[in-house]
Amino acid sequence: MKLESKVPSGPLEQKWSKYKNDLKPVNPANKRKFKILVVGTGLAGGAAAASLAELGYRVEAFTYHDSPRRAHSIAAQGGINAAKNYPNDGDSVWRLFHDTIKGGDFRSREGNVYRLAEVSNNIIDQATAAGVPFAREYGGVLSNRSFGGALVSRTFYARGQTGQQLLLGVYSSLSRQIGIGAVIMHNRKEMMDVVTVEGRAVGIVVRDLQTGKIESHYGDAVILATGGYGNTYFLSTNAQHCNVTAAYRAYKKGAAFANPCFTQIHPTCIPASGEHQSKLTLMSESLRNDGRIWVPKAVGDKRKPVQIPEDERDYYLERMYPSFGNLSPRDISSRAAKRACDEGRGVNATGQAVYLDFSDAINRLGQNVIEDRYGNLFEMYERITGVDPYHNPMMIYPAVHYTMGGLWVDYNLMSNIEGLFVLGEANFSDHGANRLGASALMQGLADGYFVIPYTINSYFGKGKPAEVNTNHEEFVKTENDAKEKISKLMSINGKQTPMQLHRKLGKIMWEHVGMARNKAGLEKSIGMIQELRNEFWSDLKLVGNDSYMNPVIEKASRVADFMEFAELIATDALERDESCGAHFREEHQTAEGEAERNDADYSYVAAWEFKGVGEKPEMHKEDLNYEFVQLGVRSYK
Amino acid sequence: MKLQLNIWRQENKDSKGAIKNYKLNEVDEDMSFLEMMDILNEDLIHKGEEPVVFEHDCREGICGTCGMVVDGRPHGKEHGTTVCQLHMRKFNDGDKITIEPFRAKGFPIIRDLAVDRSAYDRIMQAGGFISQNIGSAQDANALPISKNVADLAMDAASCIGCGACAAACPNGSAMLFVSAKASQLNLLPQGQPEKAARARAMVRQMESEGFGGCSNYYECEASCPKNVSVNFIAKLNRDYLCATFKEGT
Amino acid sequence: MFKYLNHLVVSKFVMAVTGIIILLFVTGHAIGNLQIFIGKEALNAYAAFLQGLGEILWIIRIVLIIALLLHIITSIYLKLYNNGARPDKYVVTSYVKAKLNSRTMIWTGIMIAAFLGYHILHFTVGSIQPENYNQEEIYTKNAYSVGMGMNAHIANPEEHRGSVLNKVVYERHDVYKMVILGFRNPYVSGLYILGMILLGFHLSHALQSFFQTLGMAGPRFSPFIRTFSNWYGTITAIVFLIVPLAILLGFIGGNV
Repeated sequence: MKLESKVPSGPLEQKWSKYKNDLKPVNPANKRKFKILVVGTGLAGGAAAASLAELGYRVEAFTYHDSPRRAHSIAAQGGINAAKNYPNDGDSVWRLFHDTIKGGDFRSREGNVYRLAEVSNNIIDQATAAGVPFAREYGGVLSNRSFGGALVSRTFYARGQTGQQLLLGVYSSLSRQIGIGAVIMHNRKEMMDVVTVEGRAVGIVVRDLQTGKIESHYGDAVILATGGYGNTYFLSTNAQHCNVTAAYRAYKKGAAFANPCFTQIHPTCIPASGEHQSKLTLMSESLRNDGRIWVPKAVGDKRKPVQIPEDERDYYLERMYPSFGNLSPRDISSRAAKRACDEGRGVNATGQAVYLDFSDAINRLGQNVIEDRYGNLFEMYERITGVDPYHNPMMIYPAVHYTMGGLWVDYNLMSNIEGLFVLGEANFSDHGANRLGASALMQGLADGYFVIPYTINSYFGKGKPAEVNTNHEEFVKTENDAKEKISKLMSINGKQTPMQLHRKLGKIMWEHVGMARNKAGLEKSIGMIQELRNEFWSDLKLVGNDSYMNPVIEKASRVADFMEFAELIATDALERDESCGAHFREEHQTAEGEAERNDADYSYVAAWEFKGVGEKPEMHKEDLNYEFVQLGVRSYK
Repeated sequence: MKLQLNIWRQENKDSKGAIKNYKLNEVDEDMSFLEMMDILNEDLIHKGEEPVVFEHDCREGICGTCGMVVDGRPHGKEHGTTVCQLHMRKFNDGDKITIEPFRAKGFPIIRDLAVDRSAYDRIMQAGGFISQNIGSAQDANALPISKNVADLAMDAASCIGCGACAAACPNGSAMLFVSAKASQLNLLPQGQPEKAARARAMVRQMESEGFGGCSNYYECEASCPKNVSVNFIAKLNRDYLCATFKEGT
Repeated sequence: MFKYLNHLVVSKFVMAVTGIIILLFVTGHAIGNLQIFIGKEALNAYAAFLQGLGEILWIIRIVLIIALLLHIITSIYLKLYNNGARPDKYVVTSYVKAKLNSRTMIWTGIMIAAFLGYHILHFTVGSIQPENYNQEEIYTKNAYSVGMGMNAHIANPEEHRGSVLNKVVYERHDVYKMVILGFRNPYVSGLYILGMILLGFHLSHALQSFFQTLGMAGPRFSPFIRTFSNWYGTITAIVFLIVPLAILLGFIGGNV
């Protein structure tokens, strides 16, 4: 397997312009002849489908939701970064780039990240023009706030619903294209597999979730924008239906999967309340602008938070990281919370929570200002926990949130399978080992709006690929595989539901492949996952049949892939014998418990090649060469 | 707590549905309503019965996928809350809860509690956008927008497209949805060039999808999980009225 | 002409505009009625004045009839259409903001229309209680010129035909007597009181609905207009029904 990053040579600032100048565009009259399949209609997929259709390509988009407006991009609360420097506080493309590289603990590609920072400004312009109601100042200009991992205010937001507003902006652009027939939209169709012929992606096989029918679609190019795999952990901030199937199936067809162990744990989530928990709800990181995080100084202090005097509270983030304080990056904040709880200073009945306290901010600014800034988040908190956060500190705990790893892509966002592009969270390219807050929206939209419309030419510029009929044996074979998978799942007739088995998998993952990992635990987890997988295939219970809407079958089909994919995460985590970003190996920490990175041996992207279920995949390295930034210790002290 | 659930079961669009009774004995008050439904479904699967089909996804009240009518109220009795954010502490031990699908001609039932809301997509496709190609935008700050207008547009934009408005409306009218989507764009300066056309196109599409008209019951506002105001319906009426006097736009 | 029915929002405009025309008429009617408390002279003079408008009266009547017909046709059409948009009913229903007045508009409307038919037959055409309707009042105008008092009683008007008195003695419809005699019947009064309660109930939703439909709404204005609308309906009903009540209880009309 050859992994060429294809980052253009030359100075960092000129790479993207040079690339655009050099590309060979498709003749506008010929664009009609190219058919592009876009799988997933979140920020990245929706934006790609809309912008490619505007350019004149024939686009067909697929989502398992009932509408392209439902993708989980919608749940992003806090905001979107851009290097506009409207507040005049010294921001620049370089600074955004550098913060992102540093935030990713120097495990991402310079060229990709710089391009991301460069197009970030266009995103704000585009979204505003599309009618996204970003927050504004009284003078009518856009408002900014600060976010974790940055010392400038570069985050644009729309109340606590930025992801929703940006996704609806994309959705409205996409709707326009659907309305004029430029995009054919397939709702409620879940991708089951990608079809490759001679190493080239030629289409996909999907399952109609309303009829259970398996169908094939040909495309000159296939774009996967299918999100992350956080739900491998069962409990995460992801939506219930988020899954790894599309990406994992591509991996099984030969696409390399990069850095799967980079899974971000978000520090500010509402703690789990019991066994019944089906998901964890994130409270936006923006809350840390005004909230102060603390635990009692004494172990086992069970007093109510208001009864604990100021000098018996440990504002541990402010104490340990004075310059970033409560706005320290996610991985650092999460681990600090875990440490405090492991020491026995955690709060809540479970001891698995820390306080996020707004009383200082309310005293300083008044409740109405806080209400204005975070009203909907406070409401949400109260609804879920039954506790009023204006008068009691919130309780938070880290939860699986975002996955930096994903299918390997080059500078063109094309995987190692020709014609298979991967966008947004589904690829691995921009966030390294840790993603900064408000950067996911930025990346998804950058990929969809401003990168893929150009980089698709790298593939189409060579001429129209030979069309493959959906009667082709590869299509037929892939369809049969998909049908077989479903009928196999239905024939087991065991005792456990897909949710039960998924929950078991999540426990293994959280315990051994979670916030802190070690060799013994990881090795153990691989065995456990394999065992559980056998249990899955011998004891699964489904009911009904597959000729109508049957969510249990959908769930089982997704869990089946998690059962295999989990092993890949653990394998990668075991292989990466260093601590970096979200990947924390207990063997590699300083005396103070900070991550110890090993640039000499691990400054590479681990891209895994599938070798068979239960077989150890083969790792390919893409070395990360830093020409423009100095690799430093990532300090937020 | 113990609950008795009366749930509407229906195999498909054309079949006749009916209420079926279920009992749950161990419901925790910290559960969300949908987690309670999960438990019921797990029970049913274990018994070899078909689980209740209901739609859901983000479970944090923003995606708009979930929606069922709980004791006659879309998303349940709690104000400004999606059913996924409704928690069992709002119910009492021994309660009988009736759960039905959203009902409106524009929302045909797919199975049990799942309905087809693609009509909302088609309304958006008719005019819920600003016709501006990607890449042609001016600098975002080149067009100042007063905070009040931006905030009002945001109020409209917070609609999650769940369909509760049409389900709550005795007329099965989607006016609250249509007006929220149209008003967001019609309020902003970016949306002015297509204001009249948008109002007309979206209302026309709503009519052709089989939704009823607005009789000013305001039941939609009462059921909206995002508290979208019926004032937007008035605004859409106004925009529509103005549009009828404008030719060729 | 009825093409507008294909457009829901236009139909609503028609409802609002025709409704407000009727509402304004009803308001005028209610205020006019109050003259019964001033006395026979005032009421009968007012009635005679309206009768004397001639073509103008017919224009008003035609406008009202058209408004009424459009209001009724549109509402029935909308009701049927809207019922069709929610073909399946909920097993459990529960309303929060849809108050009884808004949910019963069509029924109160139909009952008011039926009442209106009765009312026109009763007081305009006179076919319900013809004995009360066919009351003539002889009254004098400029009676001082012939040395008579203002409300001089003329025992036998026929005798004065052709005489000088013919120029000061006139006949007019005795609306006062008709109303008093009519409302002394408790069944008739009861019917009118019921009708007026329905009307007030109808108006309490109608007025604010007019503003909402024509796009006049806002965070401060809407709550105000909804309260105002409730009061408007209530007061209109009260103003109407104090007439039959006062007659029934004998506060006025004792001398008839």
